[in-house]
Amino acid sequence: MTDDTRRGRLCLDRLTKAFTTQGREPVVAVDSVSLDVAPGEFITLLGPSGCGKTTTLRIVAGLEEASSGHVRLDGDAIDHLPPQRRPMAMVFQSYALFPHLTVSENIAYGLRTRRRGKDEMDSALRIALTSMNLVGLEHRSPHELSGGQQQRVALARALVVQPEVLLFDEPLSNLDAKLRGAMRAEIRRIQRRLGITSLYVTHDQDEAMTMSDRVVVMNKGRIEQAASPADIYFRPATVFVADFIGRANFIEIVPARVEAGSAAVNALGRDMTVAAHPEVRANAATYLMVRPETLSLTAAPEGGIGSVLRATFHGHSVDYEVETGAGTLAVTVPGPDPQRLLAEGTNVTVGIDPARAYVLVKS
Amino acid sequence: MPGSRGRTGAVRTQSPSEDPPRAPRRRRRETSVLVAIIACVALVLVGSVFPIGAVLGTALSPQAWPRYVEFFTSSVDLRILWNTLALGVLVGLAGTAIGFLFAFVQARLDVPGKKVLHLIALMPVVSPPFAVATATIVLFGRRGLVTHELFGLEYDIYGLDGLVFVLSLSLFPVAYLGLLGMMHSLDPAMEEAAMTLGASRWRVFRTVMLPLLAPGLAGPFLLLFVEAIADLANPLVVSGDYTVLASRAYLAVTGEYDTTSAAVYSLILLVPSIGVFVAQRYWLGRKVRTTVTGRPSGTVHLITSWARWPVLALAVLVSLVIVALYGTVIVGGVTRVFGVDHTLTFTHLREVLLGVGQEALKDTTLLAAIATPIAGVFGLLIAWLAVRHLPRSGGWLDFAGTLGVAVPGTVLGIGYLLAYRPSRYVGDLEVLPGLVGGSAVAGGAVAIVLAYVVRSVPAGLRTGTAALSQLHPSLEEASKGLGAGPLRTFRTITLPLIRPALLTGLGYGFARCMTSLSTIILLVTPGTHIITSQILSAANTGRYGVAFAYCTVLTALVLAGFGIIRLLVGRTTTLHRVSGRYAR
Ligand SMILES: Nc1ncnc2c1ncn2[C@@H]1O[C@H](COP(=O)(O)OP(=O)(O)OP(=O)(O)O)[C@@H](O)[C@H]1O
Ligand SMILES: [Mg+2]
Repeated sequence: MTDDTRRGRLCLDRLTKAFTTQGREPVVAVDSVSLDVAPGEFITLLGPSGCGKTTTLRIVAGLEEASSGHVRLDGDAIDHLPPQRRPMAMVFQSYALFPHLTVSENIAYGLRTRRRGKDEMDSALRIALTSMNLVGLEHRSPHELSGGQQQRVALARALVVQPEVLLFDEPLSNLDAKLRGAMRAEIRRIQRRLGITSLYVTHDQDEAMTMSDRVVVMNKGRIEQAASPADIYFRPATVFVADFIGRANFIEIVPARVEAGSAAVNALGRDMTVAAHPEVRANAATYLMVRPETLSLTAAPEGGIGSVLRATFHGHSVDYEVETGAGTLAVTVPGPDPQRLLAEGTNVTVGIDPARAYVLVKS
Repeated sequence: MPGSRGRTGAVRTQSPSEDPPRAPRRRRRETSVLVAIIACVALVLVGSVFPIGAVLGTALSPQAWPRYVEFFTSSVDLRILWNTLALGVLVGLAGTAIGFLFAFVQARLDVPGKKVLHLIALMPVVSPPFAVATATIVLFGRRGLVTHELFGLEYDIYGLDGLVFVLSLSLFPVAYLGLLGMMHSLDPAMEEAAMTLGASRWRVFRTVMLPLLAPGLAGPFLLLFVEAIADLANPLVVSGDYTVLASRAYLAVTGEYDTTSAAVYSLILLVPSIGVFVAQRYWLGRKVRTTVTGRPSGTVHLITSWARWPVLALAVLVSLVIVALYGTVIVGGVTRVFGVDHTLTFTHLREVLLGVGQEALKDTTLLAAIATPIAGVFGLLIAWLAVRHLPRSGGWLDFAGTLGVAVPGTVLGIGYLLAYRPSRYVGDLEVLPGLVGGSAVAGGAVAIVLAYVVRSVPAGLRTGTAALSQLHPSLEEASKGLGAGPLRTFRTITLPLIRPALLTGLGYGFARCMTSLSTIILLVTPGTHIITSQILSAANTGRYGVAFAYCTVLTALVLAGFGIIRLLVGRTTTLHRVSGRYAR
């Protein structure tokens, strides 16, 4: 999917940013963040509010100066370049459209600063307007556009300069849910077609999972994990990641044996071999992580390993809370069978699918 | 709804926790708001509407009609009109440019000493109108220390150039503060977006910042235009034979005792003043569009390239001129004849502090001290009524409250003369004794206080309105929901929150009282002594040392007033707005 001869290889090398405000403790917003982004790759920075996503992005754009560390583009350090000299474009959360310019003047702004010829400019503008579905709106002012149209103008304005790297700071957070879904697909489609390296900040995990080649989960200025959406989901590196993405059950275990990325564990009274994080060690207490929808429930009138504490019916699924010896487990049963709904207090056995469970380190 | 709830004992016993306190409070609310409305309307009527009405009445009376024919056919009179407008336009341009320069340095340059520049830019606010004018004559006049002594020039500062120089330097702080606020409210993301699209700093300034600020430049320009054409003090000192409408009207009253002509000049001066005022209020008053959607984000990028130095140098040059002028005022007050004989002397100060000036200091301070709190209360009250309680008619009240500054001071003074000099009788009964003139009650002090109040109300009104519109009504509603009446809500919630605004309003109000001349000069009587009119007579008789001493003392008094207001009203606390998301 990505090849190394193309331009747009972005490398963040131990970026650190501390904000110092007079008379206060310095805030370390970004803490030694390192990341290699392949040309054409779509990366999202995901994390709770205040974890340093925006700051990281702004350092890459040159709008903020790193306290230490380097940004490299195609192998060259670009730390000393002011934002206007970096071959990048940014889409702002507030869109930052110029209110005194029309739609086409907004889009052409970057072409003008780059002193493109008139013909080239006209054709680039026409292509941008057509591909972003903005034909007919050329002469409107930004405030005469709907939120979605404004968003498309902002995107067109960034794309038209053919940047090597595209930066997005929560570009969809001002749109309603339906439009957001459509724009996600739109952005991804265009980004794939043009093959532009993209760094996309969001705190919406759904957005991150559906759009990205790789998701970078950040917490308190540090990278917790950078991996594909599937790995992030099924093989979270830390308890934080497992907890932040989707829902997770953590069962305390002590692996008997660990070898070649898998561990032999005993959970809920069953022996099994499960994939494990490389840092998991044998005979040290740690967690088995299982997603609620990978667990199965069976009524077991005699015995069983637990009982249903609460059942919440959603229609498309049922959420159960099951009291077991290993603590309370969340179990989601998708597409429930109306004949086999389990009442509260029912004794049950809980089945784990070892292929979809993961042993991670206790941090 | 509270209004429909009973006030019977039965209700009181039924739900003691909620209903009973509300119903009676609801009634009190109506009364308190009503009383406030009546008080404000009365003040506005007596203080500005009647006097302006009296001017209009005289200016439009049949015996005044021939005067218009004379005016518009006489080249002398037309020249005066032209002079006035030219002065307004030039001061508007120059003052706005200087204000822009200072605001830009403050908001966008990464240079040392910005706090000092800020303070220097605010100096003209607290000083009397003559300080700059008199110092200008001493430094740059015919025998000026700089022009004549230093460079040997035969330069005559009297006239249009001197007026523009003096007025621009005196008035630019208004433009400065306005533009600074505007620059701070520009969404930095706009400039960042331009930068990431490849625009250089200069290009960002030219294609983004300037066009975004352009609509906002009209406001300060018009404000300075109005202030410049209304000004009387400076033309009386530095205009030479360059006559403007305000000084012409003043001369008609004081030299020719021709109130009809004075009213006619006033009306002609009123037309552009009120016209611009109304235009500004209804067209430009609309919010300048700075962002389209979303929350502002990003940080301001200060200019760090070499380009900041020439810009800074320009601002420093202007600052040096200002400092030189005020330095002249201070030093001039304690030297025998500044520019000629620099022997240290305290005779001027003694005359001001212990001699004939003492009366003036006492009278002025006393009258201003009476007027300031009254003006502050009324300014806030009108703001509060207009913003919160009178959604429709509030605009009119606000407009009437602002008339005090929209109308040129000279015109207002002539209005007071016309409306309040004669005693008013109903039958043989004197119902209202003359408030102005030699036989006025309390030596004209009542009229002077009234004029002070009316001229200062707009300061409190503006700051109050700004603060109140920022304050979300939900805060007050929360208090009302807890059973507090409107006056109590105002006192316990609103007032503490807008205290900084109140402080600023009171401070400017006091400064305005102490330093105002154009209205007051027509109202002083032998029984009342006002500092500014003393300064005028000192300056016009060439006793610059005494004028300087007065200016120094007056400025000290104004600053002391600021300090006392701060002590009385409490320390400035900034409004920390608590909102869901932090905005950067
Ligand atoms: N200019 C600044 N001065 C001081 N502290 C700052 C500044 N900008 C950001 N911070 C702090 O740095 C940390 C990271 O901020 P950042 O804006 O990068 O967070 P974020 O992950 O983008 O959060 P959000 O999802 O809320 O946008 C926060 O604690 C923030 O308070
Ligand atoms: Mg952010």
